[in-house]
Amino acid sequence: MSEPALELRGVVKAYDGVMALDGVDLEVSPGELVTLLGPSGSGKSTLLSIVAGFEAPSSGEVSIRGRDVLRMAPAEREVGMVFQSYALFPHMTVAENLGYGLKVRRHARVDRARRVGELLDLLRLPGYGDRYPRQLSGGEQQRVALGRALAYDPEIVLMDEPLGALDRSLRAEMEQELRRIQHDLSATVLYVTHDQHEALALSDRIAVMRAGRVVGIGAPEQLYREPTDGFVARFFANANLLPVDSFELDAAGMATVRCLGQRVRCRAPARPAGRAVLAVRPRSLRRHGDERALKLAATVTETLLLGDERRVTLEVVGAGPVVALLDARDSTAMAPGAAVELFAAPQEAVLVPEERE
Amino acid sequence: MAADETVTARRLRRTRTVDRVARTAGVAIATTALVAMLAPVLLTVLVSFSGDDFFAFPPESWGLRQYRELLESPLWGAALQLSFEVAAAVAALSVAIGVPAAYAIQRSRLPGRHALYAAGLTGMVIPIAAFAVALYGLLSQLGLRGTFVGLVLANATLAVPVVLIVITAALSRVPPTLELVAMTAGASRLRASLGITVRLLAPAIVASTGLAFVTSFEEAVLVNFVGGVEQTTLPRAILDSARFGTSPVITAIATLMMAGIGLVAIGSVRLLGRRR
Repeated sequence: MSEPALELRGVVKAYDGVMALDGVDLEVSPGELVTLLGPSGSGKSTLLSIVAGFEAPSSGEVSIRGRDVLRMAPAEREVGMVFQSYALFPHMTVAENLGYGLKVRRHARVDRARRVGELLDLLRLPGYGDRYPRQLSGGEQQRVALGRALAYDPEIVLMDEPLGALDRSLRAEMEQELRRIQHDLSATVLYVTHDQHEALALSDRIAVMRAGRVVGIGAPEQLYREPTDGFVARFFANANLLPVDSFELDAAGMATVRCLGQRVRCRAPARPAGRAVLAVRPRSLRRHGDERALKLAATVTETLLLGDERRVTLEVVGAGPVVALLDARDSTAMAPGAAVELFAAPQEAVLVPEERE
Repeated sequence: MAADETVTARRLRRTRTVDRVARTAGVAIATTALVAMLAPVLLTVLVSFSGDDFFAFPPESWGLRQYRELLESPLWGAALQLSFEVAAAVAALSVAIGVPAAYAIQRSRLPGRHALYAAGLTGMVIPIAAFAVALYGLLSQLGLRGTFVGLVLANATLAVPVVLIVITAALSRVPPTLELVAMTAGASRLRASLGITVRLLAPAIVASTGLAFVTSFEEAVLVNFVGGVEQTTLPRAILDSARFGTSPVITAIATLMMAGIGLVAIGSVRLLGRRR
């Protein structure tokens, strides 16, 4: 591939001594959708503002298609912006909203009309051109906002929790729409969200952020199965973190771990060096297991029926609260107060470095 | 069974009676209030169509005599013209100050912008008589007392708060993200501000111009302190005429003023309430 669509090098942003961004490096390739995933306050929106040019970093480099953009106004950066609040221009029709970027770029009227027509088709909003934003539903408004940001073929589109204002069912539908539109236009997208399901559904790559840093980056499936540290495991994969007494790495990317007084062999792709924890996802815990499995002696504290599955919270001796997702039919006896045994198969447990403070 | 029903029916009837009394009382209070507010207005309008050359109610004859006298009198014409000129200048000045100030107060990170807002409203908050005395001193020192400019500045201190309040309220309903989107789409900062935010503020700007105009036009206290002998605005002329003699002509002026100001005020309020 050619040069990256977006390249960030050591981006730092401090507000009155508080580090909002603490040295972020990131590359986004053309046509790629990269998600910044993190809890609120992790710096993801600040990063987006810096790329858009609404704010300047305290230090670091930002380049778009190889051009250093730090001294450029937002208008010169060739970026598109989609906000959670849609931010459609209320005094303009859908067609005028879509064509705004082309108009300020002085494209001819005929070209504008043709492009707006294409976009209305692409967004599946036929015949909506003359309507005003207030006449549209939330989902329709967000599609217009998307189209407006894509209309002038920006180098990269920045999206700040664009589906955050939609209700659950509509959100799933819009995720698919967004993915389809992004593919059709092979648009490059930097996407901000705090919703792990959204990140999983949409992303080519996910960058998990915490306290102003990217703490893990990778393809969704890889990051989900092989989290880079305890925070990524907990925040992104909802994993339970079990304390590790000691461990030994071997050449095959595996480790022999002492955990809860037992010895288990498990995967250790992140090859931790210092303190480490054992990450076990809720769905990896079973009612039964063989002698190689890690055995957890626990007391049920809370259960919640989710349909086919039951979410069981337990207190594990020596490890604190642990969450398990069990087959609902298989776990009818799991009432609060019950003493139970759960098993984690070794291939489902991952040794990861403890999260850095 | 039957006894229970009777009790229920009786209670129901009592509730209905209480409701009916309450409703009648409400209507009576509302009517009294309305009459008390509207009666002087109606009386003024009625008397303005009197054909007499003295105050009397009911008038002994009817006609447009008061209006004719008003139009023919050079005194009233001059007062009306001065009021118009002052009000127009005040409206223009207040909007020129108030709109950028509201923008800075709402959208910038200017230190002390809240203090600026509070200071901007002073003219509206301080008791008018005390304020008039202060203005008298200040404008005298500056040599502006008794001048057109002085009168415009004095009235603007009352009109700027109106503009500030209206524009900051309107601005808070325009999301800052609109301008940010416009800027990423390729618009310069100026174009994004004017083409999006100021464009969306247009109804509020027109409305606040109208309200600033009205504020100055009906101002009747400051002008007595800071205005010179020749600076007889319409409210001042009315005051003078009521003080030195009672001519029914002032009812004609009052009627015209009420109609004009009412129209501007209603128009402004409707503009502000318009749905986007």
